[in-house]
Amino acid sequence: MSTEQQSIWVRNFNPLLPPGRARWPTRAGVYEPLLIWNPLASRWTPWLATDYTWSEDLLRLRFALRPGVKWSDGAPFTADDVVYTLLLLREHPALDLPRLWGFLADVHAIDPLTVELTFQRPYVPGLEDLAHQPVVPRHVWERVPDPMTFANPTPVGTGPFTEVRVFRDQVYELGKNPHYWQPGKPAVPALRMLAYPSNDQANLALIEGDVDWAGNFVPAVERTFVRRDPAHREAWSPLAGNMVLLYANTARPPLDDVRVRQALSMAIDRDRLVDVAMYGMTRPADATGLTDAYADWHDEAAGRAPWMTQDRAAAERLLDEAGCPRGDGGVRHAPDGRPLAFDIEVVGGWSDWVRAAQLIARDLDAIGVRAHLRVYDFGAWMSRLQEGTFSLSVGYSLDGPTPYRFYRWTMASATVQPLGKLAPGNWHRFGDPEADRLLAAFERAATPEAQRELAVALQRRFAATAPAIPLFANPLWGEVTTTRFVGFPGARDPYARLSPHIEPDALLVLTSVRPRDAAPEATY
Amino acid sequence: MRAVLSRLGFYLIAAWAALTLNFLIPRLMPGDPTTIMAGRLSASASPEAIAALNEAFGKTDAPLHAQYLDYLGNVLTGDLGRSISQYPARVGDVIATGLVWTLGLGGVALVLSFAIGTTLGALAAWRRSGWLDAVLPPVLALSGAFPYFWLAMLGLHLFGFTLGWAPLRHAYCSHLEPTWSLRFALDVVQHAALPALTIIIATVGGWLLGMRNAMLGVLGTEQITLARAKGLSSRRILWAYAARNAILPNLTSFGMAVGFVLGGSLLTEIVFSYPGTGYLLIQAVRTQDYPLMQGLFLTITLAVLAANFLVDLATLALDPRTRPHA
Repeated sequence: MSTEQQSIWVRNFNPLLPPGRARWPTRAGVYEPLLIWNPLASRWTPWLATDYTWSEDLLRLRFALRPGVKWSDGAPFTADDVVYTLLLLREHPALDLPRLWGFLADVHAIDPLTVELTFQRPYVPGLEDLAHQPVVPRHVWERVPDPMTFANPTPVGTGPFTEVRVFRDQVYELGKNPHYWQPGKPAVPALRMLAYPSNDQANLALIEGDVDWAGNFVPAVERTFVRRDPAHREAWSPLAGNMVLLYANTARPPLDDVRVRQALSMAIDRDRLVDVAMYGMTRPADATGLTDAYADWHDEAAGRAPWMTQDRAAAERLLDEAGCPRGDGGVRHAPDGRPLAFDIEVVGGWSDWVRAAQLIARDLDAIGVRAHLRVYDFGAWMSRLQEGTFSLSVGYSLDGPTPYRFYRWTMASATVQPLGKLAPGNWHRFGDPEADRLLAAFERAATPEAQRELAVALQRRFAATAPAIPLFANPLWGEVTTTRFVGFPGARDPYARLSPHIEPDALLVLTSVRPRDAAPEATY
Repeated sequence: MRAVLSRLGFYLIAAWAALTLNFLIPRLMPGDPTTIMAGRLSASASPEAIAALNEAFGKTDAPLHAQYLDYLGNVLTGDLGRSISQYPARVGDVIATGLVWTLGLGGVALVLSFAIGTTLGALAAWRRSGWLDAVLPPVLALSGAFPYFWLAMLGLHLFGFTLGWAPLRHAYCSHLEPTWSLRFALDVVQHAALPALTIIIATVGGWLLGMRNAMLGVLGTEQITLARAKGLSSRRILWAYAARNAILPNLTSFGMAVGFVLGGSLLTEIVFSYPGTGYLLIQAVRTQDYPLMQGLFLTITLAVLAANFLVDLATLALDPRTRPHA
């Protein structure tokens, strides 16, 4: 296994801390959520909960819990544990990253297998956050003095792998949960994680066949990895993750003009971005900004908006109309007389995006907009996005099971922060009253039909207003070598996303993978 | 004694200045750790949660001077706080996991490189225009001129990947339990050999050239002529007279090099997946993990100061001219 890149493992299995602190797969492997959203199937898979029901007024949500589930120490899993976990988040706001208590009013157990949550206001998208919250055992965590500083060295969870068999500087091993609720699972005796400090080292191990499952970016993966043993190797990078966009800071004229943003978009040759910058591993985005994660929500008509197709003449016309004519030396200038010159900001080490930004800069030059690539360290790049001190920046998007979160963080007025104030999302500072109305309606839409109708309206609004410029879907890198273990998802059996980085999809994989035959226990 | 005490006073002042810079520099960097972390999640962490996290991570709005006094107090009591990227692990514990390996690999490689380079440098200068002097300086200057990253990658590819003589990664086989056994010790040596070799190849030329050039200067002095005239044995002149004086500049560089062992073994660690402090440092910088960064800088600074202090003492012992009343 190779997921996190670290040179030394630090023992931490606390699933409530912000991601990145606890070792993989603490949040979805040692501990488990109530339900798992699978974007490839576009449905909820029941997990610790078997079902959920909303009350008529959408102010109460009930989860029916799975009977017979046990913690790895043998104690039964009950509604008390779910209630306790949620109350722990209320008591420690630092653990409540999705801010569940921003919409929850109360939580209590109806009976040992039913939990009822009451809401402050109808907020249907809250289900997404609640369902994916890992649940911890009350009888253990009651005795933890401070869950924030608790490293949980010996975890007690409901997940398939709970026993820490080995934990050293460079390797750790997790063994099976003796009381796992899925009979006969997991079929794999143990997970073994080796420390690789860099992508190169992790790729070397992968190519050598030392790693069974990884989620690394491997350049030219077909040639370097798959072709060495095509029968047993697969690289599968579904486009069911987030979108890569060119963010235009709409608080800085003339980028507040939709015509200017659309013109920039029409200058870009996305086919070339995909081929040259992304090794052909993705495909150009359309005007909805949605990836394959939202295939069931997607609206063809909205996606075909003309500003997503390269058309230099039309782009030049739009800029002329927007009052940005060409001046001396062919460089256009804004209505206020300043030349149209922007830096395209990108993280220095992210070579695929750097190449993409170089190509975009050249495309923009062709329509009279001076663009320069500027690379930053991740921290600097992120804080420039958050403070809104950029003009153009290549960035990813914020996502969830429904398109609600993507559109909220690209179009909702409520997420717009003034320049200089840190914004967790909506870095381009775009707010639209019509989108606000649709998002508010989405929060109260309980039926899939109503949600879909609103999602389509949101897509059309995005296509009409071009809040940000979609480029291509971010591929979710995943590689497997099946000489020792089989049952991974792939193009032929897409039951989950392959990348182990994606939680909680990883749980679906961990409970499906099995040894190829009765071979002796593998050492890697 | 007075000389030693005055040096000590100087080093204490230098340590204080380093501590102060260590406090200030991370606070001048753009961005703050929590929001950057939230941005990295590519999910929306609420501003309320970020504020609460900031508090948990020890970020305060207290005035700078109050933070500074707190910081000095904590450093003096050995409390370096909790790492942010490895929260809630203590900075001291995180550094300790890497320090052993860095000191082991980097320290041994440095000492070997210094010893080999200095000895060969002395010999090369002694038999000037001999075969040693004709071959070694240009060859080692060339090997030292290759970028270290390239040299390490080449070594790994050739001896690890193609020939299979050396392990590809890590400080010991992952199936071995770290114990005080011969088997484990041999395994550690086997894993350290190639990384150590690449470091030595990259650095030995510098020591050699430094020593050789200093030796040539010393050999031309009247002191050596006098020693010869007195009929001292060549060996005694070489080591006790010439080398003793010529080693001084190299010794000073050695003190500096100790700092690079702790901070600069980053490339070795990345290429050979070797655990250590260099990678921790780059990770701390990337994730804006101020407490870890400060802890590492502190360790490096104190190590450099301590090494320089020892070098000063050695210089006092070797070179009578540096003593106030010789």
